[in-house]
Amino acid sequence: MRWGMLINLVKCVGCYSCVVKCEQEHFLPPGVLWGRVLISETGTYPVATKHVYPVLCNHCKEAKCVDACPTRATQKRDDGIVWVDADKCVGCRYCLMACPYQVRTYYSEEKEYYPGQGSTEFEKLGKQLYPHELGTVSKCNFCMERVDEGMKRGLKPGVDREATPACVITCPAKARYFGDLDDPNSEVSLLIRRWRPTSLRPEFGTDPSVYYVIG
Amino acid sequence: MIQAKPYEFMVTYTPQREWIEKGGIKLWLAFFFIELGAGMFFIASLFDNLTAMSVGWFLCAVLGGGLHLLYLGKPLRFWRMMISSGWKTSWISRGLFFVVFFLVLGLVHLVLLGQGIRSIGLIAAANAFAFLTVIYGGFAMNYVNGIPLWNTALLPILCVVSGLWGGAEVTMGIVAGSGAASTVGPAIEEWIRILLVGFILLIPVYLLSVRYTSSAGQVSVRSIVSSKWAFLFWVVVVVAGMILPIAAVIGTLAAGPTGLSLTFLYAAILAGLVGDLAMRYLVLKCGVYSPLIPSGT
Repeated sequence: MRWGMLINLVKCVGCYSCVVKCEQEHFLPPGVLWGRVLISETGTYPVATKHVYPVLCNHCKEAKCVDACPTRATQKRDDGIVWVDADKCVGCRYCLMACPYQVRTYYSEEKEYYPGQGSTEFEKLGKQLYPHELGTVSKCNFCMERVDEGMKRGLKPGVDREATPACVITCPAKARYFGDLDDPNSEVSLLIRRWRPTSLRPEFGTDPSVYYVIG
Repeated sequence: MIQAKPYEFMVTYTPQREWIEKGGIKLWLAFFFIELGAGMFFIASLFDNLTAMSVGWFLCAVLGGGLHLLYLGKPLRFWRMMISSGWKTSWISRGLFFVVFFLVLGLVHLVLLGQGIRSIGLIAAANAFAFLTVIYGGFAMNYVNGIPLWNTALLPILCVVSGLWGGAEVTMGIVAGSGAASTVGPAIEEWIRILLVGFILLIPVYLLSVRYTSSAGQVSVRSIVSSKWAFLFWVVVVVAGMILPIAAVIGTLAAGPTGLSLTFLYAAILAGLVGDLAMRYLVLKCGVYSPLIPSGT
């Protein structure tokens, strides 16, 4: 089993809802981003093209960050999910350097979403439910809590909402697909065969689990 | 990650910042002192100079090791790097092992040498770990394939040459200051000449080789030699870090190791160290990641 994601850039409208939902789902503190939307332009008027790429951890099969981590805080599970055990992280940021996609964030200082006004009730709740440790590195974990909990309940990630990553179910354009890359009959595998997507910077040899359909 | 323009992150060439800005300055200095100290111990041990070996050990342990620990987000957890299996793949974990083994063996050797006992096996082992301590930073950076300026096999060689050269220079300064220049001075001077020539040859080869690897490599090299960092490179690295030490080498060739004024010798040593430090700063500061998506840059 290897969880993976397919993002259809033809459908993506660049609304940032995946980024916002990720922040909400994991109670991410200000300055910590697990997902981003990269926007660029090529060409010049009147032949200019706008590129919108939502990016997240690629959960690479040959993850550079896993090998770089001196404490094994960054680990790869059997299902391909790469995650960080914050209790083991020493904050050396070597993983952050090693990741050619720069999708990791170092939590360097505590800030408030509303400076000078203290934490909101939601933030207070988040500190209890999903604490983030200062001085450690964090990243997208493919919502592994949702995936694991859903599977325990007999649900199928990528099919059932409760077992699917938050960014996938929140995407208003339905541009994201999640599923088992090793299962030839999963929706994500079928779409990869049909659409022949690409991954980001394949020359790095990391074999990412996130694919992009470029229009 | 901090950035000047958040919307340009990984859309244009994005400089690494965690290992050079804000707290990252500590890491820059830590690598310098670790390599300088270990290099100094290595060179001084060849001449049984207890003072220079002790200074090298101190620089490596207190300044290098201390700054490394201070850089960590969770310094009290550093021991985890030694008990995990991280050493199998991680150069940071391996580096910690090298530094710890070097410091322990080096300390035992210093204590024994202070009592007049000289163990060849011990000094060989300490020097082997000192050498590994000098080189591991280069391998740690070389592993980062997202930054072409670092992802070159020449970087570990550059670390070895600059670490040993700096070590030889400071050892020479200590030897000259203690009035022993006439005995071991010429031999240390030989090391300095070879390493200085190596450093001077390596810098252009390194920059040229990176320049032709990729567009990100080209951007990095251009920012070192011809953009806002050009002053630091040409004045501090080239003039102070290379030309002044060359002048000192020519001076000792002409006047002998004791013929050069101590003031000029110390100025040349200091200039060489500052040049080395500046070069390390530029390598860290000008390392850029390639854009992830198509962009007009």
